[in-house]
Amino acid sequence: MKLTTRQLALCAVLTALALGLSYMEGLFPVSLLIPLPGIKLGLANIVTVFALYELGVWPALAILVARCLLGSVFAGNASALIFSMMGGVLAMLVMIVLRRLRHLSIFGVSIGGAAAHNIGQIGAAIITLGSTAPVGYLPVLLVVALFTGALTGFVVSLLFRAMKNVHLMHE
Amino acid sequence: MRTKSSAKLKPCWWDALVVAAVLLLAGGVFFLFYLSNGSGSDHLTAVITHKGEEVERVDLTSLTADKTVTIDGTYGMTILLSTDGAQVISAQCPTQDCVHTGKISRAGQSIVCLPEQVVIQLVGAKSDIDVVIG
Repeated sequence: MKLTTRQLALCAVLTALALGLSYMEGLFPVSLLIPLPGIKLGLANIVTVFALYELGVWPALAILVARCLLGSVFAGNASALIFSMMGGVLAMLVMIVLRRLRHLSIFGVSIGGAAAHNIGQIGAAIITLGSTAPVGYLPVLLVVALFTGALTGFVVSLLFRAMKNVHLMHE
Repeated sequence: MRTKSSAKLKPCWWDALVVAAVLLLAGGVFFLFYLSNGSGSDHLTAVITHKGEEVERVDLTSLTADKTVTIDGTYGMTILLSTDGAQVISAQCPTQDCVHTGKISRAGQSIVCLPEQVVIQLVGAKSDIDVVIG
């Protein structure tokens, strides 16, 4: 991965944006509206999907890893790292594969990513707890992922429409 | 720009395949986890694990009075066990996810606390057998 200064700056801005979004999300917990523990909109995934389409695989992956590392440093919680990392990386891998299937729109890709994110987090829960009990919660999370994934896809599609004439990567 | 122009922005029927796959997976996991977990039995046992170690195993069906179990740790919690299920009645953690989970009453269900690493799991009668080989 060889980055121009412009791309590097863009990656840094997107990382900051992702961190800001995930912090902001904590201020409006969705679990107050929907009584399901651990449910999040996953606003930071908007940045991941956007970066994957706009910048490509490697910059998107770099932004994701930087966001997970910095996020757990800011939260002062090292055990949260395995959760965000496993969820994030699995989501990224699934979205890389799904994006290559040319027929899928941004909605299908981000729904697949959201579902993979939840699978990764349940995997992290199984590892930390040493128990398979969290698997029982996966069906609920997967159904919720359909909605949060569609929301992410919707926001990114709006973003791309609005940015039709804006070229971030070159002047 | 190649990457941006290749993005399909409108949902299409192919996306429904992803939705179907996710629903199928959710249904499959649900079926495997709950329906094959001895949930048919009317005999309930609550198993409480703290940091990977089993701290309490209570036969709920033969319980004569409600029983409370207290877990001590960074974030302690109080668990209420009764004949028809288990419930976390109070916890000293910031998120309170375990309290919000409410009461669980069927085999296969569980209450999970990630910060304190507590799992309260209800198992059916089948769980008297530890491992099935063959």
